[in-house]
Order: sequence, then structure tokens, then C-alpha cells
Amino acid sequence: MQDITPSFEDADGFYEQLLDAHKGLDEGASALLNATLILVMANHIGDARALRDCIQAAKEARQL
Amino acid sequence: MTAYTDPVFTNGYEFTTGAGYALPTYPFVPPPELSGTAPESPYPVVIVGGGITGLTLACSLAQLGIAAVLLDEDNTVGVKGASSRGICYTQRSLEIFDKLGVFDRIQAKGVAWHMGRTFAGEHEVYHFNLRERDDFKLSKQPAFINIQQFYIEGYLVERIADLGHVDMRWQSRVTACTQSPEAVTLSVTTPAGDYTLSAQYVIDATGSNTPFHAWCQSTMTSIKRDDRWCIADVRFKTSPPAERHTWIEAPFNENRAVWQHLMADDVWRIDYQMAPDADPAYVSREDVLRERLARQFGPDTEYDIVWVGPYSYKSQLLDHLSAGRVYFVGDTAKVVSPFGARGGNTGISDADNLAWKLAAVIGQQAPEALLDSYHAERHEAASVNVAVTARTTRYLRPADGTERLFRDATIALAKRYSFARTLVNTGRMAEANPYTRSPVCSYAHPLVGRSVQNVAFQWANGDDAQLNDLLRWSATRVLLLWFGGFSRREADKLQALTNMASVSVVQVCATSAALQAREGIVDPTGQLAAACGQQRWALIRPDSYLAAVGAQADTALLNRLAVSLAIA
Repeated sequence: MQDITPSFEDADGFYEQLLDAHKGLDEGASALLNATLILVMANHIGDARALRDCIQAAKEARQL
Repeated sequence: MTAYTDPVFTNGYEFTTGAGYALPTYPFVPPPELSGTAPESPYPVVIVGGGITGLTLACSLAQLGIAAVLLDEDNTVGVKGASSRGICYTQRSLEIFDKLGVFDRIQAKGVAWHMGRTFAGEHEVYHFNLRERDDFKLSKQPAFINIQQFYIEGYLVERIADLGHVDMRWQSRVTACTQSPEAVTLSVTTPAGDYTLSAQYVIDATGSNTPFHAWCQSTMTSIKRDDRWCIADVRFKTSPPAERHTWIEAPFNENRAVWQHLMADDVWRIDYQMAPDADPAYVSREDVLRERLARQFGPDTEYDIVWVGPYSYKSQLLDHLSAGRVYFVGDTAKVVSPFGARGGNTGISDADNLAWKLAAVIGQQAPEALLDSYHAERHEAASVNVAVTARTTRYLRPADGTERLFRDATIALAKRYSFARTLVNTGRMAEANPYTRSPVCSYAHPLVGRSVQNVAFQWANGDDAQLNDLLRWSATRVLLLWFGGFSRREADKLQALTNMASVSVVQVCATSAALQAREGIVDPTGQLAAACGQQRWALIRPDSYLAAVGAQADTALLNRLAVSLAIA
């Protein structure tokens, strides 16, 4: 698995927006927001190989 | 997570009710084996099972002049008391039926549709119009026609009777199958007694409950599904719009899926997704169905129930599509969920793929190795169809938890953003499956291994024609199209080819004045050349698949021709 190279323009800013988006949501609404966000981002990436690498990277991080 | 008992797999019809359809019946004629006048040598081909796949194969062989016997345990088309099965036929299937001479009847009876709408709750998620799709426009056949399966089967039976060569034996049930290296022997039970007959090749088209898998010790991969449906064929006094409607979540069906599509005779097929633990007898009861219909169409809608029955499905793929001299086609090769009309339509393509190969081998135009390519090509197609339908199944019957969460996300997004509509999977419609690794295709161009649409051209005298006319004329020979003029040296090479029994050579020019060869056609719009990849020559097989293309009349042409017929 190749390393996913850092490419954030503003990592802290994104992280803050992500947390703010979940503020006040219960567990179910939060899960739905995450799922919806993943699909929007996946469409933005588009490239099939990049998407496969992203899923693989997430699975491997979880196993550490 | 709710635990459910395993559903009983059924495409059987023990719970069916409704007025049903009136079906033709065919007479039992005592076969020559029972009067001692049977031929001593094996029949070239025996087809077991007169469903849409078996009949398509029988009709193809009849058209190619191959003597065959068709054995069917029933005396009618459809399944007794349950005649409503497949309803949606793709352009590729319609092209095959055109080649066999039954398309005009299908077109006259059936309903061509082009608008599809998908709903979730009260909202339309998206719609499509097939008339706006360019990829269906080259063919003379429309994108889809909906028609009850038994109509096509009935047309094929009558066409086979007209063509001759195939002996259709009704009420003839196969009870055993044994084989030697030279022939297959079948035991047959009939109302007039039992007999055995032998064949060089036996084609198992008996459907998903085939006894041949056990007889041939065939192995398979199988996935059980717990998705349950109730299927209703309904004739309305006032018809809904002539569009295909699908609900992922229908408010009038406890937020489960509903399919609504039209067929011949103003009959509508309405499929209701049921709870996985639903009782099949209960959901198919007439009063229960009427309640459901009232919720969908309003309490005052007048209609007749033509047919109703429960339905559940499994997914199954045979590891090898032949066993010795027995070949598996249609539902004996694979079973898929119904979404995308990938069951019947791929059975029709199985038959189209196998028929010309059998005819070429029996007519000694190709070695028996050509038949091995049936597995190579149609197993790839079956694998794809199993995988594609499995994805749809997972969308329509998501597991509780994350799978349902993501589906909810796609629906929410699709209402607002067009990109998300590509994720909404209510069935990916069947297509002519490409063969990407066939041993009888020479992959020098992206179109090789793909089906050439039934494009129009003109005969040398200016009369309109289509590729199917050329394929019918060429019969079991592969078709070599030579595009444009040729030199003296090229003429000599092509002349040598025209003397071969296994190939027909046809020159294709933009005008009739430019034709030099004895067999020539005119392609004024250039669309035949485009469909063949704009090459100098193209090899089109009798099933309209492109086997090879090339730039010169050289040894590569001869080699690729040999490869296409498994002459290695």
C-alpha cells in the first residue's frame, strides 16, 4: 500500500468544519451525514484507482 | 440484526392464483423410437427444455438446416398456470429474433418503451429517456420491447415448425442421461411409453431446477438470497402511463420496492418487494393483492388480476458450461436475480453463441475445439451478469445497518445532485456482453469481441438491407467484409478465401459503381464501416460478434480467420 501523500491546503480548517457539521446531531443523523459526505467526496475524487487506495488506506489504519 | 428462516427458493408456482392466460397446446406425436423406425446413428443435437433459451437454440439450428430433436416435458409454452415470466427483451435479443424471423410478430404484439422513472417515497429521484441515448440508434431494433415471454416462445414454436429440421417432441420428459466419448444417451418418458435416444450433443435448457447438473456431476458457486417479491400481472380498465416506474421505497408498500411496467394486451406487471419473512401463500392471496393495488392506484381503479404469484431468487454460476458432450444454456448455466432483465436475455445470447458453433462443427467447417469457446465466452458473460445483478440486489435489499445507511445517503443526495443518481441501482439493463479473453477472437482493436449492431446498408441494386440479412445469407460461414477497393494482388488473396467453405467474402463500398467483387454491398453512410472499427477488413461471426479486424490481405488475415474457427 502506497502512502497517501499530504495534500490538504488547510487541514485544521477542514477538521474544524467537519466537527462543526456534526454539532448537535444524534448518532443516527451523524452517521447519515458521514455516509453522505463520503459519497460526495468519492464523486469528487472520481478516479477508480484513487478511490480503491483510499478505502485500502482507511482499512489499514484501522488495523494498527 | 433480525434473523429469518431460509426462504424456499421458488420460481415454481404452487401458490399462484388469478385468471391466467390462455396458452396454445401442442400435440404429442409418438416418436419413431416407439414404432421401431428410429435412425440407427445418433441425432446430431438433442435440446432438452422448450423455454425461451431452448426454443431460440432450436430455431437457430432449424434456420441453419441442422437436424435436431427438442424434448419438452409439457405440451405448451410458459409454465402451466404460471405463464407469466420474463417480460423485457433487449435490443440484442430483438436482433437475434429478427435474424430468426420472429421480430415482426414481437414488435406488433409487444410494447416499446423509452421512459423510465425512479421514485423514493413521494419524490421522483430521476428519470431517463432511452430515445436520447446514442448507443441504441445504430440498430434497426429498438432499445427494449416488453412482451410476455410465452408469446415469443409461441412464435418460435411456429417458426420452427415452418423451417423444419427440428423435431419438437412435447410431453417428453428426460429421466436419465449417460454418456460415452462418442455420444450421449437419454431416457425419455412419454404418454405412449418410454424410450432411449442418442445424440452427438445434448443441450440442457431445462431451467434452474435441472436434473442434468447431478447427472453430469457439475459443480457451481451459489449464493442464497432472502429477498422476496410478489408478482402481479394486472389488466387495467384505464391504463397508467406507458412508462417504466420503479420505487426504491414505495409508501404504498411499507416503504419497500415496487416495479411497474407494461406488457402486451394492456397487462401491467407489478412487482412488490415483501418482507424477507413474508408468507408466500398470504402475500399472493387475491384479497391481499387487491388491498395493495388499492393503496397504489386508488380504491376506485378497475382492473382484472391476470396472474399473481410469489417470487424469490438465488444467484448461481456453474463452474463449467459443458460436461463432456452436454452443454448448459440459459438458467442451467447461471441463475441471476431479475433486475436488469439479465436472465432470459442472456439465455437467448447463450443460444445464439452455441447454435452456429454446433452447426459449423456438425457441418465439418470447424473442429470440435470451436465448441470449447462456448464456455470461454459465455462463462465470462455469466460471471459478469451474476456480479452486476448481485450489486443491484445489495442495493435493493441492503443489510440492516451500514448498507441501509449508505442507501439512505444515495437517495438523499440523488434528489438534489445528478451525480448521485449513478449510485441509485434499480437494475443495470442487460447488454450484449463483450468477450474480453476468448480463444477465438484476435484482439487487435477495442471492438473485437463485441457484438456488431444490426446496422443498415444497401444491396448492390440499391435495395435496403441490414446486417442480419447478410448473416442469414452467410449462415454458418464467418463473414469477411472487405472495405473499399482492392488491388490485383489483394484480389488473388481474397479469391482464395472465397473458395473456402467456412467463409463468405463481401466487398463493402460507398457507392455501387465502386464495387469490384461478385459479392458486394453499399455502405453510403459509412455506418457499417464504423461499426466494424474503420478497418480494411472485418471478420463477423454468424452471431454478429466481431472476431478480428485487419489492415491488409496478408497472412494475419488467414491466421485470424483460422483462430476464429478454432483451427489452430
